[in-house]
Amino acid sequence: MALTPETLTRHELNGLRVAVADAPNPDLVGVAGRVVGETMRTLRVAAGGDSASGDGPDASETESRVKQVPKRDSTFEFELPSKGDAPECTDEAADAAKASGTASKRRSETAGRFEAGQSGRCQGVAYVTVDGARLLSRPALRTEKTGDSLWR
Amino acid sequence: MGIPAERIDRLQDLAREATAEGDIDRAREYVRLARRIGERHRISLQRRFRRFSCDDCDAYLRPGATARVRLRSGHVAIRCLACGATARYPYEG
Ligand SMILES: [Zn+2]
Repeated sequence: MALTPETLTRHELNGLRVAVADAPNPDLVGVAGRVVGETMRTLRVAAGGDSASGDGPDASETESRVKQVPKRDSTFEFELPSKGDAPECTDEAADAAKASGTASKRRSETAGRFEAGQSGRCQGVAYVTVDGARLLSRPALRTEKTGDSLWR
Repeated sequence: MGIPAERIDRLQDLAREATAEGDIDRAREYVRLARRIGERHRISLQRRFRRFSCDDCDAYLRPGATARVRLRSGHVAIRCLACGATARYPYEG
């Protein structure tokens, strides 16, 4: 159960790179950086000058500001870290092949509410667009229910 | 490894990084979240995580930075430099 577009909403969001694609507050649209905190209804994004350089000494040096973005009514674009190109692709294929039991769930997920922009999955990084409403849950409980509860 | 165990693993790395950058409170958040996930999913944290996080104040312990590690007779004493609590772990021999 690696971090894939399908499991993203149930997986750990802290530390991922994210861009706010859409938000009710125009000031928050376009905020990009690492997720450094999560609450039930918000994500804290360290938006700073550390766009491509990753975390490190320069992150603190450029004095990153932490923005608190409400999940509700926002759209996030997560950047999935991939460990090597080829293993990522084979993993995906293997998952799809053996996941006959969860196929229906998976299909409904991808067809229904999960608008995953899976462009360029196998070269370098993958970007996944997630409706913030799908993340509305306490951080610790997201893994249990909210990921694939159908009535929420 | 399921998702909860993976989350805990990632949180441990994040807590370590945050502590290295000097943000002890952010590391605390990660440690608390990891413990909570373990609780909810009935997974015990790895021994390394258990021993290098403070039971009292949830700080992630990095020897030399936020913790002091000493060998005493019969046990290892790890003191949290953030709150001063000491944890002792016995060893054989
Ligand atoms: Zn402590």
